[in-house]
Parts: sequence; C-alpha cells; structure tokens
Amino acid sequence: MQSRRTDIWGWSLIMPALVLLGIFMIYPILSSLWLSLHTGKGMNLSFGGAANILRLAEDPVFLRALFNTLLFLVVQVPIMIALALVFAVALDDRTLWGRAWFRTAIFLPCVTSLVTYSVLFKSMFAHDGVVNDTLMFLNFVDQPIPWLTDPGWARVVIIIAITWRWTGYNMIFFLAALQNIDRSIYEQARIDGVPAHARLLRLTVPMLKPIILFLFIMSTIGTLQLFDEVMNITEGGPADATLTLSLYIYNLTFKFMPSYGYASTVSYVIVVLVAILSWLQFRLARDK
Amino acid sequence: MASKTKTFTRALFAATAIHLFAAPAVLAGEVTVWFWDTKFNGAAMQEAANRYKAVAPDTTITLVDLAKADLETKLQTQFASGVTDGLPDIVLIDDLRAQLYLQSFTGSFEPLNGAIDHSQFAPYKVAVATVGENIYSLPFDSGVAGFYYRSDILAEAGYAAADMTDITWDRFIEIGIDVKAKTGHPLLSIDMANAAPFRMMLQSAGSWYFTPEGELNLVGNAAFKKAIETYSKMLQAGDTLWKPVSGWAEYTGAFTGGEVAAVPMTGVWITGTVKSAADQAGKWAVAPVPRLDIEGSVNATNHGGSSWYVLSSSAEKTEAIDFLAQVWAKDADFYQKILVDQGAFATFLPAREGAAYSSADDFFGGQTVWKDFSTWVQQIRPVNYGIFAGEVDAAILAQLPAMAAGENVDTIIENIAAQAKSAMQ
Repeated sequence: MQSRRTDIWGWSLIMPALVLLGIFMIYPILSSLWLSLHTGKGMNLSFGGAANILRLAEDPVFLRALFNTLLFLVVQVPIMIALALVFAVALDDRTLWGRAWFRTAIFLPCVTSLVTYSVLFKSMFAHDGVVNDTLMFLNFVDQPIPWLTDPGWARVVIIIAITWRWTGYNMIFFLAALQNIDRSIYEQARIDGVPAHARLLRLTVPMLKPIILFLFIMSTIGTLQLFDEVMNITEGGPADATLTLSLYIYNLTFKFMPSYGYASTVSYVIVVLVAILSWLQFRLARDK
Repeated sequence: MASKTKTFTRALFAATAIHLFAAPAVLAGEVTVWFWDTKFNGAAMQEAANRYKAVAPDTTITLVDLAKADLETKLQTQFASGVTDGLPDIVLIDDLRAQLYLQSFTGSFEPLNGAIDHSQFAPYKVAVATVGENIYSLPFDSGVAGFYYRSDILAEAGYAAADMTDITWDRFIEIGIDVKAKTGHPLLSIDMANAAPFRMMLQSAGSWYFTPEGELNLVGNAAFKKAIETYSKMLQAGDTLWKPVSGWAEYTGAFTGGEVAAVPMTGVWITGTVKSAADQAGKWAVAPVPRLDIEGSVNATNHGGSSWYVLSSSAEKTEAIDFLAQVWAKDADFYQKILVDQGAFATFLPAREGAAYSSADDFFGGQTVWKDFSTWVQQIRPVNYGIFAGEVDAAILAQLPAMAAGENVDTIIENIAAQAKSAMQ
C-alpha cells in the first residue's frame, strides 16, 4: 500500500514535466517522422512512403552538404580540441603571467551571439576588409585573398570562425578537469625525469580521456548542426562550398519551393549521423 | 481599451454620417500591412494610407516593416502552422516568388479580380500573379532593368552616351575592360551568390528556366547557352573587368563609394540607392540594359519588383481590398507623388500620363529617365517565372567555378539541368 501511494505521489510530481516534454518534445519528433514520409508542394502534402529517402540518394546538393558537414567535422573538431587542450594546460600553469586575463580573453568569444560574430567575421574577411588590408599592409600577400568568393577560402573562413568561437568553451571543460588531477603525480614524474611533452601526452591526456570523449561528442553534434555561421557569413556559397545539412534544411523549407517532408527527412539524417558517430566514439574510447 | 472605445465611438459617428451624407459604405477597422524596405515600399504604403484617410477615416492602416527574408520566413511558418492569428491583412510578395506562394499555400490568398480592374496594369505584372482564372495581386513596382553608369568616368575613357545605348553584353565586356585599363574603375561588380544576371539575360530574349508549361528549359535553350557563355566570359576576365563583392552592403557600397563606375544588371528600384550618393549628382546616366548577342534578344528585361496580396484569413478583408481599390488602383496622382519622392516606378498604366513621368532629372544630367523607363517597360517580354526559380538559381551558382575555369559549356549546362531536375519535386 505504502509503495503504491509513493508511486502515485511520484508520478503526479513528475507529471507536469512529462506532459510538457510530451507536447513540446516527443510529439514534434514523432510528427516530423510522419511528415518525412510525405511529399508535395508546400501544404499540399500527400503520403509518399520512402520517396524522400530515395530522393536523398540522387540529390547532388544533399551529397555536397553532407560532404561539407563531414569535412568541417573531420578538420575542425580535432584542431579545436587540440588547441583547447594546449591552452588549458598552459593556463593551468600557476607560474604563468597574466593567467586570469588570458583565460578570460580566450573564453570571451563564447559569450558573443552567433549572429553578431558571424556578421563581424563577414565584414572582417570582405574583399577590402580589415584582414586583407592588414595582410597587404604587412606585405604577406600582394593581392587580396578571395576569402568569401573562392570556395576553398570560404571553407577556411568558416573553420577559423567556429574555432575562434568555440575553443574557449572547450578549454573551460579541460581547465575544470585539470583541477581534479592530483599535482603529486606530476611532481613524481618530474623527479623521475619525464620530459614536459611526455607529461602532457602520457599523463594528462590519458587522465582527461573521459572529458576529451565528452567534448568530441558535444563538438560533433554542434558541427552537424552548424547553421548560423554559414547562413550569415557565406549563405552556403560560393558554389555550395560551405552548405551544411542544417542550412540545406533551411533552404528546402524557406528559400526553395517549400518541401516540408523532404526537409524532415534530411533532418533525420542528422539524427542518424549523431547517433552513429556518438556510438562510434564511445566504442573507440572504451578501455580495452 | 480606451482606443477600442474611441474606435467604436468613431464608428458610431461614421455610421451616423452615412445616413446624413448617404456615403456608399462604412468601413472601420485596422488593416495590417507587412513589407520590406521602409524608404521604398514603406514610404509608398504610408503615402497611400494617408490618402485613404480621406476616403475612409475610420480605417487605420498599420505598417509593419520587416527584412525581406524575415517576412518570407514568418509568412511561411504561419501558413505551415495553420494558425492565422498573427498574419497581416496585406502582404508584399516578390514577383519571382509569387507563383511559389500561390501554388504551395493554395487558398491562403484572396483573388482580387472582382474588385480591381487589372487591365489598368502592365500585363507582364498581372501574369505573374495569375493562377487559372484568378488574379491575386495588386501589381506594384516594376523591375524594369536599366544600365546605370558614371557618365564622367566613361567620358574620361572616351565613351559618350551613344556608345552605351543598345549594346550587347559582348560589347559591354569590351568597353568594361577598356574602361578598367584606362581609368582603373571596374564597370561591374560580381557576387558569386547572385543568379539574377542569368535571369535578366534570359528574359531579355523572352526565354526562361522553364517553358510556359513549367517544364525545365535549359538543355537545348539557345538563350540559356548564350547567357552561360557570356557570363563565363565575364568571370574569366577577372579583375580586368569586375570587382568581387559579397552581399548587398558591399554591392551598393561599391558604386555609391565611387569605385565601381556602373550598375549594369539591376532594376529601376535601385535609383534611390544610386541617388543616395549626393556628391555624384550630375555624373550618372541610364542606358537601356545590354542584350544577348542572339536573334530575338531585346535591350529590355526585368529584375525584381513586387506586388501587394490580401490574405484570405484576414478579418478586415473588405477594408483591405477597398483600400487597394480606392488608392492603389485608382489614384494616378498618388503614383506621381511616390515616383517623385521614392523613385517608385509603378506599373499602373494611367499614371504614365502624368507630368512626373516626363520630368528631367538633374542627378542624371537632365536625362528624362522615367520616360526612358516607360519606353523600356513596354518592351519587357512576359515569361512564366514558375515555382522552382530558386532551385535553378542554386544549380547555376554551383557551376560558377566551372564557368570561371573555362570548362565545356555543354557539360556545365547538363550539370545545371541535372541538379535542377533532382531539386524540382
């Protein structure tokens, strides 16, 4: 009797949260799954079964967006995590001058709004923007670099932008994790004559493994959802070089003839990718 | 609450007034209008609202200014949600996207052919908003193209107005390279995210991405092939011809700042922006847009332009339609005023008789620009924009690097057609 009573109490206490979750989370997810099985123009939808999935395989733009997204993932995430780790270890050194200042400076980008910093990057990397002007003034280049008008350079700009924005965020996780490592381990290593680079690679990195894994998964999910930067800096161009899956979903919904069903299908591709990549990273990081 | 009571009192007064003066009908209420560009569309709508006050003092016209992309996103999201509470009564829609909205959200817009005499508007504008028997728009501004250039810089390079008139794009490229070499000013800016030049070139030849029936019309389309060849030639000329820009602000900044000496691929609505550089007064001129070097291409085409639409869900539908009918489809003097004040070149034909349309403009060295545009607007070839122009635009833009690299034109066209075909479903 007693347990039944606590059951009722328990359920009624979590009920409001469950109801809200059901309405705003579970229902939309199921509803978009249903929508992904439909085809048609705008609101004139009809059931299409697997038609949208078949369309994916033959859609060159989707394949391009998928390629770009994975390219950003493979290139940018390791650079960012490595940089964040290096910054964190450097800033963890108590003898470093101006530690608090550097820590704030590196973390600061992460409090700026995505749209604001994107607009700033767009103007900085313009044909006669501040970056080209500086490079020309310093005689590093004699022609302005076509940052936003060349497909290759546009990808570089996007990678620079997201690395600038997110490195500090990842660094804070590493800094927090480093506080939990017993200092005496390093002292012991120093006494044993272990060089600094080996202390980083053989001691710090293995001990930070859970947090590295966590950051890899978070960054993977973040990169798969990359939207604000490409929307505002390059609009996916030039020649779709920076088109990501999320931006393609937006285009399918708002820029092109609205294909709500197909757009939902592409969004499920992101869901599947996140699931596969997270599972893969857990597998790879599992202790042998 | 207070304002509601006030409105009610006013309505009551108005109702009494009917009996006294036997006015035809009483309309009271708030008509909300969504548009983009306060200085152009907004100012024209405000002027119309002021004039409507004299006709129906009890109707309030509320203007809501949004960025164009935001307006479209908001509108589509509301249509998709099926909740019509937040929708306005009148909305501005880009001509290029009109068919897409009318066909994707059937029943969301109110046919206006019963209330408005569409024979008073330019036929190509009416065609854009026609589905079957119904015409859904109050046609507003024209996108008639013009070739704006700095007459002082062109004169420095040895070109007079006659040299710029009725030329082909091939000739334009020759002049451009020559002017750049002599004066250092490019005649053109290119944005790798803008497909408008292709649409303009096609329409100048009376051709389009699609056949009038809506089928893809790229492979085997002589005008399209010529447009690709011409644009490839421009891209390959690189910085001997054009300046790269990215986005609207850089595009307009390039000529208002005095660096780029012409705006060859634009619509008449750019006039206000060109004139915003007051220090360049008297140094500009407008020539007819260049044509493609093929049979059937004319020195006139269209870029942009938009129209007003009434939403079916509107509670103030009667008021909204009456407003459009009483001012926008009737008041020729109103069109004179917005032409002078905003440079809004509308497609209401009776307005063409007015004095403003034949006045000389000192900014353009005394040229009678509006009269010229009135001539060119009549030469625009009507085409069916269809519902997939955005998809074909994207397919073309994806091939710009191939065009710049000088790859085989037929292969490029096949790639564009393949991508467009897969996107059109």
